[in-house]
Amino acid sequence: MTDTVTITIDGQDFEVPKGMNLVDAAKLHGIGIPVFCYHPKLDPVGMCRMCLVELGNVAIDRTTGAPELDEQGNPVIRWFPKLQTACTQTVSQGMVLRTTSDMVVEGRENILEFLLTSHPLDCPVCDKGGECPLQNLTMAYGPGESRFIYDDKIRLAKHVPLGKLIYLDRERCIQCARCTRFCDEIVGDDVLAFHERGRRLQIVTISDPPFDTKFSGNTTDICPVGALTTTDFRFGARPWELTEVSTICPYCPVGCNLNASTRMDREFGGKAMIKRIMPRQNERVNEIWICDKGRFGHHHSRHEERLLAPLMRNKSGELVEVEWPAVYKAIAKQLKAHGDQAGFVGDSTLSNEDLWELRRLAELSGGSPRLGLWPATMSGGDVVAQVGVGSETRLQDLGPGSVILVMASDFEEEAPIWWLQVKQAADRGAKVVVANARPTKLDRYASAVIHYRYDEAVGVLNSFTAPLLSGDGQLGQGNGWGALQSDLQNAEVTHADTANLLASAENLVIFLGSEGLTLEQHAELMQAAANLLIVSGHVGRPNNGLIPVWPGANVQGAWDMGFSAEATADLLANPPALWVIGGADVAGEDIRMATALEQAEFVVVTAQFMTPTAAHADIVLPRQSFAERAGTYTNGLRRVQRFYPAQGPIGDALPDWKIFAHVSAQMGGPRPPVAAGTIFRDIAQRVERYIGMDYTRLAWFEPQFPDVGGDDLYYGGTAYSNYGGLGLQWPAEAEAEQPQFSVRPVRTAAPQTDGLTLVPVWVLFDRGHLFEKSELMHHRMPQPYAAFNPDDAARLGLTDGDRVTLAVEGHELTVTAQVGDDNPAGAVLLPRRLSGDATLSTPAACTVQKIESMQKVEG
Amino acid sequence: MNLIRGFATTIKHVFEEPVTIQFPEEERPVRERFKGRHALKRYDNGLEKCIGCSLCAAACPADAIWVEAAENSDEARYSPGERYARTYEINMIRCIFCGYCEDACPTEAIVLEHEYRLSFNDRVDAVYTKDMLIDPVPPGGQDTPQVTEPGKFTRSIPEMKDPD
Ligand code: SF4
Ligand code: SF4
Ligand code: FES
Repeated sequence: MTDTVTITIDGQDFEVPKGMNLVDAAKLHGIGIPVFCYHPKLDPVGMCRMCLVELGNVAIDRTTGAPELDEQGNPVIRWFPKLQTACTQTVSQGMVLRTTSDMVVEGRENILEFLLTSHPLDCPVCDKGGECPLQNLTMAYGPGESRFIYDDKIRLAKHVPLGKLIYLDRERCIQCARCTRFCDEIVGDDVLAFHERGRRLQIVTISDPPFDTKFSGNTTDICPVGALTTTDFRFGARPWELTEVSTICPYCPVGCNLNASTRMDREFGGKAMIKRIMPRQNERVNEIWICDKGRFGHHHSRHEERLLAPLMRNKSGELVEVEWPAVYKAIAKQLKAHGDQAGFVGDSTLSNEDLWELRRLAELSGGSPRLGLWPATMSGGDVVAQVGVGSETRLQDLGPGSVILVMASDFEEEAPIWWLQVKQAADRGAKVVVANARPTKLDRYASAVIHYRYDEAVGVLNSFTAPLLSGDGQLGQGNGWGALQSDLQNAEVTHADTANLLASAENLVIFLGSEGLTLEQHAELMQAAANLLIVSGHVGRPNNGLIPVWPGANVQGAWDMGFSAEATADLLANPPALWVIGGADVAGEDIRMATALEQAEFVVVTAQFMTPTAAHADIVLPRQSFAERAGTYTNGLRRVQRFYPAQGPIGDALPDWKIFAHVSAQMGGPRPPVAAGTIFRDIAQRVERYIGMDYTRLAWFEPQFPDVGGDDLYYGGTAYSNYGGLGLQWPAEAEAEQPQFSVRPVRTAAPQTDGLTLVPVWVLFDRGHLFEKSELMHHRMPQPYAAFNPDDAARLGLTDGDRVTLAVEGHELTVTAQVGDDNPAGAVLLPRRLSGDATLSTPAACTVQKIESMQKVEG
Repeated sequence: MNLIRGFATTIKHVFEEPVTIQFPEEERPVRERFKGRHALKRYDNGLEKCIGCSLCAAACPADAIWVEAAENSDEARYSPGERYARTYEINMIRCIFCGYCEDACPTEAIVLEHEYRLSFNDRVDAVYTKDMLIDPVPPGGQDTPQVTEPGKFTRSIPEMKDPD
């Protein structure tokens, strides 16, 4: 059995992978079979008939089972009497194809003529015009003339909102079902459907709220006509006027590759402005999908509230505008005065270059620098460095034989595209195990679901590891093996089946979040995961290992640059007199931080907006958004990826690295570097993991398959091509030739005592200080709430919708209670960043008080 | 002899009527199809013909046209259909008056008219904005933006008849 078969296309023989779709197989060898409904990421349906070809198979003699031969000894080809749809065929040995014969050409012409009978041909006002597969294929294969009467065209609604983000033009739709299939197959959200039959067939949204999915924007990309458009872009520019700039999403650890389509705009002062955000193909990262947060969350980059000039407190305590040199001097003076009494915090939206310059500044300030990262919700950067997932891992390669464990994370809310990829892996036959304290959406696709109490998290992982240690273990030479073995000797094996499943997996990937865990507990959980991976031998190779669901785009980069969540916790425990905060809205997100800043002597903040943190500061420095400058982010799979300046600069804002470098220069450091690339060179020399990387190498790219969005637009991708770089991954220690593994016993958390714990959770569409600026997304952001288990609620006398006061560590928060069966007992789930009020980074004990309504409504 | 013949020609022309036109006191009428400065046209009801499709800008060999589009609503309608030109500028010192924009326009909104008196003291003045290019509202029509009846102006491109 070989893995390839030979097929003949237009008289030429080709070797193609067995079982491949015929359209893809032809495309692999540069032969275009035009399609509308087929999309390489979706299952074929054969609805549009555009891909018609003449197809023949080798005739088999029924009696002998051998191919029939003609007089010359050549195999006899049995042709199908009619044209066949190539998209619904997979290749088989000896298949013969004609894609250019008269019959095929005529077939295509007829299909296009039919499609255009109902099409409005309003290309001049259509957003797809210029990058439209229907236009392109009509030009390439169309008949040039129609026998139908223009006036008999069907007239349908042209302005149908499918929710508030996507508009449908019913006339333009060619009923290919790509959009509905995307929602059904790829996302699994039952939100779009066909309604009616025949000529009246039309797309409708069947969910309430309409088009209720986190991935709606992707349908506009794959729609082969201009039937679906986004509210964000509608009429923003013509595609040929746009300049595509490669960038990286600043929101979550997936690190989706984006194209910012930019154009100069009068209302933006004639500067280049982001008109739309599109996915950029990276089969190793986001394939061709992005979530709506990444797509519509770019408005903060040019919001009218952006800070435009440095601000410093004057004698009477007001923040007033000053010049840059004055603030550099003032900060340097403060840093010198405070010596090692300074603390530094870098945000997850800061680039590696920003963080590096912040670190250099911290080092110049004396003492051993205290470098905290934000959000400080997850520990374990060292564990990731050891057993992080193997290089060249592709989530889309996970299938039968692979097991994916997702733990302590509301996965879709925290890493939407990973969620999507894991869901598809499950569809392909991978086994998904979900472990969390409460049900999440991924449970639907799970082979096993484990619901634990928050304090049992470590125990769950231990119970997977324990049975593997009972024998001698082939990895018995690892550091700390004996200690682990004796520690887990008597561990309770609570989930034997799941443990078996994990142990026997060919590939095992663990996604680990930190829901409901303090930093110390999370450090233990990460180690417990490392123990499991090492003991079961799932490390050091592709598609095996740990993927942390970090709480931000560049948290991995922050760890690499020497920042840590532990340092943030230490800064809180022993507050410094002087804080230097890069980008993060610490006071707006965490009540403990807000208190710490109030008590600080001096606070320096780089910020895009007047956040609560900036309001606390003595010096506020306007920082540039990710859209205006170059840099690199490192995603959760440790892939270092470049982004490029897309948008014109705003005010006097500067990139963070420049600000920190100028202050360093004032402190006697070297002259500030001129470009982000120079800093990266510095990083690559001093940070071991980044050795060998530079901006040129990060920008490498290669042809990717499926080729969607190349010069030919058969698959109808818009802005998919990746010319900005596929990025480089640094290898985990487990991938070394002779890896040194160390396992150690982990402490399980003390069981929860009575009382309630406030558990901060993530929601995707939050009101974080950047995403909040995308006003078109406000309707997708939940109202602030705190979620209770029915038993707890009954005990507290709460019903759904009551107003409650949560008291935690001397602070009070007022929110609306939500009571639901899914909420774990003993916990109050409080989404972060949903209101203007600060919440917590990590769980803490809390008390709840119902607010009795003041007035009784008289009946 | 040749000399005399030559001077005779000169003397003859001295008494002929001069062909010089004393611009600007005097103006020569232009031909019907003369291509001068552009005008943006309106429909009789005052709605703008331009739908902001940028095809003129795409056709322009001199890159003289700049269009930015935006969305119409029935509360504020500039043109029929969903799209109108929020910004429309032509740089007259870039323009070579070839008329390609006129050919490209799907709604016959941009027309090169007969105005040719174009001179500027500053390059910036040569950029004609939409206000300067658009025709006045025809009698009986209304200025844009208009409040219009929902469902009436749903199509950008006027109905076309099949050729007979
Ligand atoms: S969908 Fe394509 S063919 Fe149809 S109007 Fe738009 S650009 Fe033209
Ligand atoms: S809206 Fe677009 S993607 Fe959906 S069926 Fe119609 S043409 Fe296909
Ligand atoms: S039927 Fe094959 S592409 Fe539509």
